[in-house]
Order: sequence, then structure tokens, then C-alpha cells
Amino acid sequence: MGIATLVRAGEITEIIGRLSSGRTSLLIAALRRATRAGAAAALVDVDDVFDVAGAARAGLDLGRLLWVRCGGRRDHALRAVDLLVRCPGFAVVALDLGELAPRLPLTGAFRLRLAVRRSSVALITLSSRRIAGASAALAVETVQAGVDWAGPGRAATRLARLRARVSVVRARTAPTPRPLDIVWQCEVSSARCEPSGEMGREVCA
Amino acid sequence: MSAFACVVVPSFLAAAVERVEPALREAPLAVVTGTPPATRVVDVNAAARVLGVHLPMSEAEARACCPGLTSRVCSDAMEAAARHALLDATLAVSPRVEDAGTGIVNVDVRGLERLVGDATAVGRRLLREARAVGFLVTIGLAESRATARVAARLGRPITVVAPGRERETLAGASIALLEPDPETARTLARWGVRTLGELAGLPRDGVAVRLGPAGLRLLDLARGLDQEPFRAYTPAPFYQEAQGLEWEIETLDALATVLAPVFERLCARLTAGHLAADVLDVDLRLASGEHHQRRVPLAHPLGDARAMLALVRLDLEAHPPAAAVTGVAVTAHPVRAVAGQGGLWQPTMPAVRELATVLTRLAALVGPASVGSPRLVDSHRPDAVALARFQPANPGVTDGEPASADHALALRRLRPPREIDVEWIEDAPTSVRWNGALYRVLTSAGPWRSSGDWWDVEGWARDEWDVALSDGTVCRIAHDLRRGQWSLDAVYD
Repeated sequence: MGIATLVRAGEITEIIGRLSSGRTSLLIAALRRATRAGAAAALVDVDDVFDVAGAARAGLDLGRLLWVRCGGRRDHALRAVDLLVRCPGFAVVALDLGELAPRLPLTGAFRLRLAVRRSSVALITLSSRRIAGASAALAVETVQAGVDWAGPGRAATRLARLRARVSVVRARTAPTPRPLDIVWQCEVSSARCEPSGEMGREVCA
Repeated sequence: MSAFACVVVPSFLAAAVERVEPALREAPLAVVTGTPPATRVVDVNAAARVLGVHLPMSEAEARACCPGLTSRVCSDAMEAAARHALLDATLAVSPRVEDAGTGIVNVDVRGLERLVGDATAVGRRLLREARAVGFLVTIGLAESRATARVAARLGRPITVVAPGRERETLAGASIALLEPDPETARTLARWGVRTLGELAGLPRDGVAVRLGPAGLRLLDLARGLDQEPFRAYTPAPFYQEAQGLEWEIETLDALATVLAPVFERLCARLTAGHLAADVLDVDLRLASGEHHQRRVPLAHPLGDARAMLALVRLDLEAHPPAAAVTGVAVTAHPVRAVAGQGGLWQPTMPAVRELATVLTRLAALVGPASVGSPRLVDSHRPDAVALARFQPANPGVTDGEPASADHALALRRLRPPREIDVEWIEDAPTSVRWNGALYRVLTSAGPWRSSGDWWDVEGWARDEWDVALSDGTVCRIAHDLRRGQWSLDAVYD
């Protein structure tokens, strides 16, 4: 199993996990792959948490990403996703529901699945728990496996990486693969790396 | 190859009305002006001319002559729209066109032979473009604009005058084609000069003495000499189509029926210029004398009449006019349409029309300021981002690999940052209190100090820390050095 398997055209994929488990990194990686391949993607962001600078540093093509900020309105987010998955042409539609994910009614999830299948869009949901039930073709759970810090001495001076384990909790079409260990590298901003005293630049104190 | 083409719309005012109401093409039509009952006919179409309606004539005389006559008033806006539509259509063929009068456009066609073909092919192309915006035109092609103009008035759809054969080709044409003023026409008739060949043979000095500047102008036209420089037309920064109504419209459905052909004409002009509209201004003239004006920004540049109509209708449903509508005018602000064709192996992109509709609905759902393509702002201020219009580029793999690989750790921003309490021992945070719960700091790294905009009221200065909390959360906290306030900025995820 790899990141590429998350993007399944015409299917719903769920990413679940708690904070700092690497789930958002997994979602951004999937969006990055889609946009760098030349396709358009959409991110419906319920709690307005998308980090634009980090995504740009990670290589996500921002020009091909449609960002829908819902200001905490989960009902708006679900309606926005419903509109987007009915518009053919998006390779990936991502729904970031955050920590307070509402459970989709069975009929709603089934209707969403039909729309996704008809327009061949890959719908990826991110939340703390599963919401689509049997309509999801794939559901993966991310768990934090450790955090590494780095520094020249004994004391940590910067966050180096976050280790996560991704395991499949539901796979409708394929046999359940073995869990995957991913190491998410902390990409510090260029400003942090520049020991400059110039005003307006970040400097290491 | 000819140097110039002249595009002429016979009976331009009548053609402008027929363009708005195509059903009137077959019926006798008179364009009138003035206040009833003293209205007079200013133009007629071919069907009315056959039935004996001519100029000058009052509307009452015209109706007596032709009982089935339909009369329309041609507004200035309608005439201007028609004039610009003809110019836009010719601009689709050549970048150098000249507005040579009402319903007459001179087109510089030099150099088009490799692009379009010979003179006849250029004429056919002009004919097709003019027809696309609703005009039936006649076209003359010649070495000079004057000759091309006379050739265009010969009545044939396309007349090509070969270089060096201007005199013999046009020698038999009537002087009436030059539209001389009545006094000069009478003088020439008295002299027995009836054709262009006879006029061109007159001595220039003698014509100057006896007929003055008007005679010299006619002589130059008959000889095919251009006396005035070519004044290239510059397209207006907006496209406008208008339609006056002879009845009052009170329902949105009826208004949509009127708006539909207006948008079709507008889109035909935009298409001729390979343009799309990104903003529509709708001006409804009301029966109360007021104007109901709406600006409809399009989420994506459009050249599709049906999609425009749907979006304007949505807007008018939300903001209906206060009284019955007696006239409509729609202005489109054009932008260059992105041309491109996806490859066989490239991913498909959303169709423009469907994307525009979806973006409009999303904007209505979450607000226009919350939908778009994220864009980094040129600033060191943390989380300085903006939203731009979502215009995905043509499909194509992004060149080059970014510095980071697939496995980049992402942040979840908290907007706005949550205020927290931090306990502090020996220059390092030891615990964080947030939402009433206390979290122990297991590991921390920092501070990363930054500041900016100190010269402005929006100045900022802060220390950032990356901390691992006792519940497993790894987050970024910040200390505002100006306010002395701690905040939770983001969570690593």
C-alpha cells in the first residue's frame, strides 16, 4: 500500500486518526500527487486549518487547488462536497472534517458514492472517525509511532520527523494490505534556516 | 492579393433592428424616429423597399403605402452595439480595421494570404464572421479603400477588383454608389455624367472649379484614390448589448426570454474576438424611470450565453427590480480566453461552464471570500495567505520536483490562533493550559524569533516553539512579544 492507492477514481476513501497522527500529511501528499500530475483538486476545509505555506513547500500546485473554507459549518461542507463531486473534471475532492465529524446518514453516503462513481472523482475524507460507513471503498487509520527531535547537542533544537503507522481498517475491493510505516519529515521554512538578523526574517534565537 | 476589404451592411439601421429581432427579416420593416404622430422613416429593409416604402417619408405615408409595415425605433444604444458588433466581427479576421461610417468597415487584409487564402477566401471569411454576429453584408476587395467601398456597393456578396483593373471593372457602375449630395448629383446628371467611368474621365482642375471639394471627393472616389489616412479602430474595453422594449416586463421568466438573445449576441461578439467575460453589468430600465443596475462577477471567465443567463437570473432572483422593466442593457468586461487542448494522456479539467456554475453556487453557500485558489502573500508574517480566482491551468505535469519529497509533515492551522496559558521554567515552556485542561510539555524546541512591519501599525514580533504535549499532540505555540500573549498556532499532523 502506498499513498497512490488513496486516490481511487470513482471511490470514497476515508482517512481517520487523532491529532498529530500524520493523517493531514497523508491527505496533503495525495493532493500533491494529483495536482503535480496536472489534474485539478478541491479541498473542502471545515475548520479552515489548511496550511498554505507548508503545502506549497511540500510541492502542492496551489494553482490547481480549489480551497473551500467553511468557517466551521459542517452542513455547508457536506453540501459543498455534494456540488463538487457532481462536477466532472476534478481528480480529487478532499473533505477535511476535523475533530467533530458528523456521521453521514446511510442514504446520504450512498448518494454521495453514486455521484462520485458517476463523475469518476476520488473523494477523500479526513476526520477523527469514520463517517461514510459501507460506502467507503477504503478506510485507513493513522497512528503516531513516535516523534524525533534533532539538534547539535543533547537538547532538541528542532522537530525533525514524525513517524506514523497507516493501517487499513476497510478495503472493499482488495485484500487488506499490511500496515505501512511512514516517516513524515518536518520541512522547516526557509526563513528558519537563514540565520539572518534582517528585520522581518525569522532567526534562531 | 488585394490590400483592403470594405464590409458594407446595406440599410444598416434596419439591419441593426433585424439583428435584435431576427423574425423581422422577412417582413417589411421601417425604422422610424421622432415623436408620434410626427414620426418619419429613417431606414427600411429590402422587403419594405420592394413594396414602395422609400426615404424620405413619414410613417403615416409609409403605412398608407404598405399596410403590413412593421415599424421600430432604433435606439442609440442598439445602433452603437450593432456598429461595435460589426467591427468586432471584422477584428476576428484582421487586427487592422477602420470604422468608415455607419455600417461600413474597412479591413486591412495585407498579409492574410498565407493565413486565410486568396482575396475571395478572405471575403468568405469576413462574410462568415459578419453572419455570426447577425449581419448580412456585401464585401468589396481592392487595392484602395475607395475602390473596395464602391465594389462592396455593387450588390454582389463578394466583389474582388483585380489590381490594375479598377477603372474597367467599375467604369459602368452608377454614380449613385458614391452617395453624392443632391445638388452635385443634379449637376452631374445635367452634364450627362452617370457612371463612374465618365466621372473619372473628367479633368480634375475643371471639377475643382465647378463642383468644389465635394466634387473632388467624388472624383477621387471614382478614380479609386484614398485621400484620408487609415484610422485603425481600437476595441472598447467592454462589450455592450442593449434592447429596448415596447412593453413592460414584470416577471423574471419573461425577462429571461428577452435576456437570452441579448446574451447570445454578446457571446457571438466575444467569440469573434476569442474573448470571454469575467464581469457582467446588467442595467434594467424601469417603467418608473429609474435604472436597476446589477454587477455579476463571474467566478470563471465565460463565453457561454446559457451559463451567463443562468447566473444573471440567479442574481436577479436574489435582487429583483423594483418596477416593471422597459429596457435592458448588458455590458461584458472581456478577458482573453485561455485557449488550449488537453492531451490524450493528460487528466481532464472541469468544463468551464460547469465549473463556473459550481463556483457560483459555492460562493453563494460559503461566501465569495471563502472560495478560490490559495495564494501565498509576499510577506514573512505567519500564515499570510490570500484567495485568488480558481483558474486551473491547462493540464500538464508540473515541471521539476520540489525540494521536499512526498513525505512532508503537514500543519493544521488554527484560525484565529487560540489563546493559551504557558508555564515557563528556565526559558522553556513546561506546561500548556488550553480549554481548561493542563498538558505537560515533554519536549520543546525554540524559540524561533521573528518580527516584521515594525514601521506600521500592523507590526508584529513573536517567538515560536514546537512542543510535544503529554497527550501525544505536537504543536506550534507562539509568544506575542508585543502583547505578551501566548497562542496555539498550529498542530503538526
